[in-house]
Amino acid sequence: MEVDGILVAAHELKAPLAVLRQLALSFDEMNSTGEHIRAEMVDVSERAIKQVNDLIKVKRLEDGLFVMEPVSVRAVCDDVMRELYYLFKHNRRDLFVKYSNRSKLVMANRELLHSVVYNFLLNAMHYSGEETRAELRVKDYHDTVRVTIRDYGPTLPMDVWKEMRRGWIEKPTSIAMRPGSSGLGLFIASKFSRYMNAEVGAVRHRDGTSFYVNLPISKQVSLFDL
Amino acid sequence: MIFVIDDDLVMAECVAKACGKKKVKVFSNAIEAMKAIADGEMPELIFLDILLIGPDGFTFLNELVSYTDTEKIPVVIVSSLDFKQRDLSVYGVVGILDKTTMLPEEILDYVEKYCEKK
Repeated sequence: MEVDGILVAAHELKAPLAVLRQLALSFDEMNSTGEHIRAEMVDVSERAIKQVNDLIKVKRLEDGLFVMEPVSVRAVCDDVMRELYYLFKHNRRDLFVKYSNRSKLVMANRELLHSVVYNFLLNAMHYSGEETRAELRVKDYHDTVRVTIRDYGPTLPMDVWKEMRRGWIEKPTSIAMRPGSSGLGLFIASKFSRYMNAEVGAVRHRDGTSFYVNLPISKQVSLFDL
Repeated sequence: MIFVIDDDLVMAECVAKACGKKKVKVFSNAIEAMKAIADGEMPELIFLDILLIGPDGFTFLNELVSYTDTEKIPVVIVSSLDFKQRDLSVYGVVGILDKTTMLPEEILDYVEKYCEKK
């Protein structure tokens, strides 16, 4: 699909999703089952809106509207985890997190980095089996900080892995071994990473896949170090 | 009275419902709303969508600020477009709500702030 086509489609999709969300919020007081359904409706529509917003951002990348600045990786990852915590819990997946990076700041755009981590983690939640876990690890890697998201689902197919090895995904492609996947999250993450001069890639495991993004370290002194 | 102007009537009804006990009038386009004002209905507060069928929200805002009797009517923009960085106070805009993230309580907050309690 042409990028302009994506933009039009994204705007068209946003309106009904916003209505759906607002309708769910407008329900009068309900019993606990009703409340649960209402919360689900709001969550689902908010996630869909987020993905639609990401598509709009893909178009805005061309205009260079996203400023690169020193960003705290940990703060971004914490934000994403807070957003996804209940979704993981609700779907009976654990989320394991480990920060071992010494360099606290990277050169990135906060909004785009948030989307990259969010998309990878959401992917990991979808493809990890019930009662298993997804892992988020942040560590120093040469002159970059590497954010790795590991899932315990089907291994990434060889052709997609090769495409990721090249450094970016040309277009969203359905991944047959990962049912229900349109590859949209990977496409978005790879587009945003490329914009931020970050390297994106994947490691195939026999019991899952690790997606990673290497972000250039910012030379600015971090307040965390003071 | 509050005016809600949105070509998406379901969204307009949601906004109207969030206004609580205040009397609300819903319009699907800017022309009808302007006609109502010209006929003497003076809203205390307006919730306005920007992308409308026919004249858009900014045309309506321009019209509103060009008359002495309507220039001070507080307007809250309700849109899924991103206006966060813009200062629209010259149009009498007192707030901006993003349709994709707004909560009913935020709508009610504006009602309580700008409408007389009766």
